[in-house]
Amino acid sequence: MLDSALILELAIMFIKVFVVGSVLFALPIPLTWLERKVAGHIQVRLGPFRVGPHGVLQPLADMIKMLLKEDIVPEKADKWLFRLAPIMTLVPTFTVFVAIPFGDKVRIPFTGREVALYISDMNVAVLYILAISGLGIYGIIFGGWASNSKYALLGGLRSAAQMISYEVAMSFAVIGVVMLSNSLSLVEIVKSQSGGFLHWNFFYLPVGPLWFIIFIIAGFAETNRIPFDMPEDEGSLGAGYHVEYSGMRFAYYMLAEYVAMVTVSVLAVIFFFGGWNPPFNLPFHLTGETAMFVNGGWNAEFLNLLAAVIPLFWFAGKVAVFIYSFMWIRFTLPRYRYDQLMRIGWRVLIPLSMVNILVTGFMRI
Amino acid sequence: MSAGKYMEKKRECGIRDIFRRTFFIDFIKGLMVTLRYNLSKSVTVRYPDTEKWVPFPRYRGVHTLNRDEKGRELCVACELCARACPTKCITVVPMEDDTGRGIADRVAKVWKVDLVRCLFCGYCEDACPTFALRLGKDYERACTDVSCALLDREELLGPAEVPWSFDGGVVVGARFERGKGGIKVAADLSDEKSPWFERQ
Ligand code: SF4
Ligand code: SF4
Repeated sequence: MLDSALILELAIMFIKVFVVGSVLFALPIPLTWLERKVAGHIQVRLGPFRVGPHGVLQPLADMIKMLLKEDIVPEKADKWLFRLAPIMTLVPTFTVFVAIPFGDKVRIPFTGREVALYISDMNVAVLYILAISGLGIYGIIFGGWASNSKYALLGGLRSAAQMISYEVAMSFAVIGVVMLSNSLSLVEIVKSQSGGFLHWNFFYLPVGPLWFIIFIIAGFAETNRIPFDMPEDEGSLGAGYHVEYSGMRFAYYMLAEYVAMVTVSVLAVIFFFGGWNPPFNLPFHLTGETAMFVNGGWNAEFLNLLAAVIPLFWFAGKVAVFIYSFMWIRFTLPRYRYDQLMRIGWRVLIPLSMVNILVTGFMRI
Repeated sequence: MSAGKYMEKKRECGIRDIFRRTFFIDFIKGLMVTLRYNLSKSVTVRYPDTEKWVPFPRYRGVHTLNRDEKGRELCVACELCARACPTKCITVVPMEDDTGRGIADRVAKVWKVDLVRCLFCGYCEDACPTFALRLGKDYERACTDVSCALLDREELLGPAEVPWSFDGGVVVGARFERGKGGIKVAADLSDEKSPWFERQ
């Protein structure tokens, strides 16, 4: 049954996947620039300044450099695994975005078609995301193992040790969110937080902020960034698991790290800060129907478009705040030792989240 | 205080301590510090693009040979600088000349310095009895060929980029120039800017 509606449906799906994929591939370009600028200004320097105005073209120059670099595979490495590992980190970080909603269903002007601003609304999206993002660690462990270098191996091992200490706390934090929103679907979670910032899960006092703190600490560990970047600890491991990588394979790891940072920011926004919901209620509802009522005709289509785009801006704005704070914290805190992270994970976060589950349960009765 | 005592003090769990830890007070203080720096102005001197540091008068840069007010060479070819030099990188060959080229009738026929060996210690400058030799403010000596490190009399007598009347110790505007002979940062001495240690 290949009728036109199905083809159209497939085409829209294809376009959505393409857009999300290319945005994710392109996003590290401005993010590396931003990170170096933030690093520079926090250290009272300027950061990149010479390629293009204020150094905006620096990431492109870096990309050319990466592409031209020799791609070295160590002689005694497990060659097949060595080549596979960066891809194994990269693929899960991208796959997570299948389940992530960027906005609600919107009506495309002049066609009357409704398009959802997400690739798929899984009813178990939360579980899917936890499962897939956990897979990314395999790439790091495999990369560390396959390099046949002691530093890389130690980096990989640390990554494994790190994972068992944050993954549990992270799942607990997500359980908290599920309890607050009564759903495992991310779209439903966001919808349950509509109607002003007081409805956001973060402001569900007193448990909301606590869930958020647990989630964000685990999230920092998940992205392998300072203060929890033990797998690539420059001070003691050279560069950790990717010490033997060069050229594009190294770039894949970097790409995965940035996309993971975006993922955690996006999840924090969806789970705790109301996703694309505006922080306050507009006095009127900006939809086509009301506009039709007020003005009718062409203005309605324009307002429709506006109603589709504004939530995206809210979403992107909140995510941007989180991405900035990722960078801000990176240049504020030193690195934890990995026994310290395990202690934080097992002796603080997990007991705390168990108590928190009880409290949340009582509050939701 | 022994290390153990220090640890004990750290482990103390008063109400304030618990409060501090629960609400991440120290962490927030740290974040505020970095935020303040993030918003403050950077101290970077934009060398070589638009700014250049002109060193203080006592800076020991590349050698200069100087003249008196009447334009006569001050060097009397006494070779004291060559003697004082610990790396023996100055060569002086004297000659007779009573045409008024120098302040005495003994002038340098050859006066050259090999900057590859020079360690900019300034002993030559100290040894010079007539203040003919002074280490200048020029510090840009990058080039693609060692020959540019061999400076002879004509070059050293030529006008310095920064005249002695200009005190230095400031950042001035500059222009980055890329030419056949290499790269150069041309300073614009009239365009004085605040030095880096006074920025922020
Ligand atoms: S600065 Fe020192 S090393 Fe250089 S020429 Fe003078 S005396 Fe010799
Ligand atoms: S530069 Fe000074 S010390 Fe050297 S030969 Fe000339 S007068 Fe003598």
